[in-house]
Amino acid sequence: MNKLIQNEMMKLIAKKRLIVIAIIIGILVMLFTYAQYKQVQTQREKLGTSDWRTILQQQIVDTTNRLSSSRISDEWKKQLQISLQQQQYYLDHDINPAEPGAPTFMRIFLESSIDLFIPLMVMVIASDLVSSEHSLGSIKLLLTRPVKRWKVLLSKYITLCLAVSLVIAIAGILSYAISGVVFGYKGWGAPILTGFNVTDTGLNTSEVKLLSLWKFLLMDFGLVWFVSIVVGTLSFMLSVLIRSTAAGMGVMLAALISGAILSNMVSSWESAKYFFMVNLRLTDYMKGTAPPIEGMNLSFSMMVLFVWWAAALLVSFIVFTKKDVY
Amino acid sequence: MSFLNKNVIRSITVISVLFCLLWLIGLGFAVGEYYAGKPEKVPETNTVSKKVENKKGLTILALGDSLTRGTGDETGKGYVGVLMDEIKEKTKRPVQLTNLGINGQRSDQLRKQIREKEVQRQIQKADMVLVTIGGNDLFRGGQGLVDFQAGNIAAIEKKYLDNLKFIFEQIRKSNSKANVFFIGLYNPFIELNQGKEMSKVVRHWNYDSAEVSAAFPKIVFVPTFDLFELKVNDYLYSDKFHPNSKGYRLIAERVASLLTW
Repeated sequence: MNKLIQNEMMKLIAKKRLIVIAIIIGILVMLFTYAQYKQVQTQREKLGTSDWRTILQQQIVDTTNRLSSSRISDEWKKQLQISLQQQQYYLDHDINPAEPGAPTFMRIFLESSIDLFIPLMVMVIASDLVSSEHSLGSIKLLLTRPVKRWKVLLSKYITLCLAVSLVIAIAGILSYAISGVVFGYKGWGAPILTGFNVTDTGLNTSEVKLLSLWKFLLMDFGLVWFVSIVVGTLSFMLSVLIRSTAAGMGVMLAALISGAILSNMVSSWESAKYFFMVNLRLTDYMKGTAPPIEGMNLSFSMMVLFVWWAAALLVSFIVFTKKDVY
Repeated sequence: MSFLNKNVIRSITVISVLFCLLWLIGLGFAVGEYYAGKPEKVPETNTVSKKVENKKGLTILALGDSLTRGTGDETGKGYVGVLMDEIKEKTKRPVQLTNLGINGQRSDQLRKQIREKEVQRQIQKADMVLVTIGGNDLFRGGQGLVDFQAGNIAAIEKKYLDNLKFIFEQIRKSNSKANVFFIGLYNPFIELNQGKEMSKVVRHWNYDSAEVSAAFPKIVFVPTFDLFELKVNDYLYSDKFHPNSKGYRLIAERVASLLTW
């Protein structure tokens, strides 16, 4: 088994796909860093201060005024109200919600890339693990060895899990290293609040906890990893089912993008919450923003993702062991 | 492919396994913290921090209602924005504006707002404070016209004056040096049927407000009633209540002429 995994790992590295992914992440992080830097600067110019309390207070008042406008939808209003209460809570407790520094950048980067960008990167690895063996014709060589088929597939799956872990590590390291040049490398110990509970009446702050940013980041990474594994497994299944790598990627891409669009407009279509793609934003539960559909929470989303994961894994193994290869 | 020797692959595999474990720990931590973690008291800061960051320029704080916000101004500036432009022209020092005006705010709400720690801190570091309040107490978007017949105005005004006094006391307590400009009311309904009677109420209201202002040092009551007395509709936005760009310019110019530094 160990040899099989080493063999798969070698194939993966020989494909140099990890390097391509690292370059893509690097470029994107650079873009984000610059964008963030510009944003901070314009804000500073507009308000004439870099004092975060003043900026936060101004944001609170601006949001309050937007709330009084009659033109905004009820859902948007609710989201604004929740973020407003959260901002006020931060201000009342004298905690900067976005302590400047690379760790905060990492947090924002992870939170905004969890539902599309990182899954896409994972998909790039996962979607041709099996189907490429078909297109190269090497599947026959692989299956004529005296090894059980499920073992071959398992070694591929374990390799996928390892590669996913590596991709997330690369994303973390690059975002820290690159953004630190601009924002500085400090800020691991900055306080951050979690445990905001979104209820029907608004934001429940009775269970709010104070955490160090490094702990919060570790949690975020864990959630991103979980999401990536699920997405990776689904692409893995498609790679088993569909011989063409491009077709498998297309299906996965459509699913991921539809998720990003759907979660903006599904609040009235309640059964949409059983789709895996509207449940990808796990980090939002940590941050305490309103879920896309009422009644969703961390355990619900994780359960949904888990069921999809288990089903995908089951289908992959059954199909792979039964299928005729010619 | 010389770099693909066994050791490289083995070490990459080991690193991946380590990261895999680390992320698993993170995941377990996230779930545990989300459900089992008991809330610990988040320390609340009760004192307004006395530390004022090293500021170089002129700090202006605007408090109040939609007039401070600039509602009705097509350019979105409001009298505060126009005033800022004038100040920037006259002085080379950097100018910082914090606009905490909230649409529809009444005096009791401002009274609440002004007791927030951060708002107090803002007052503390301001060099100049601009205040508009009372319009929503008196007019309440036209409802005032009905009430004014019923003779409820006296009770409303009494509450308002009480709030105003409290607001000024708070400002002076936090900051004894800054000049405070309190913008008086105009009568947007002057050309309506009961405009004359309404004007009388507004004049009285303004007179009492000016009296309250006068009781405090460096709080200047800035009248606007006369600005809107003739041709009121030229200076009002289409809601016939808020000023338009021209109206805001009038108010800003009046305040600008009072500035000293």
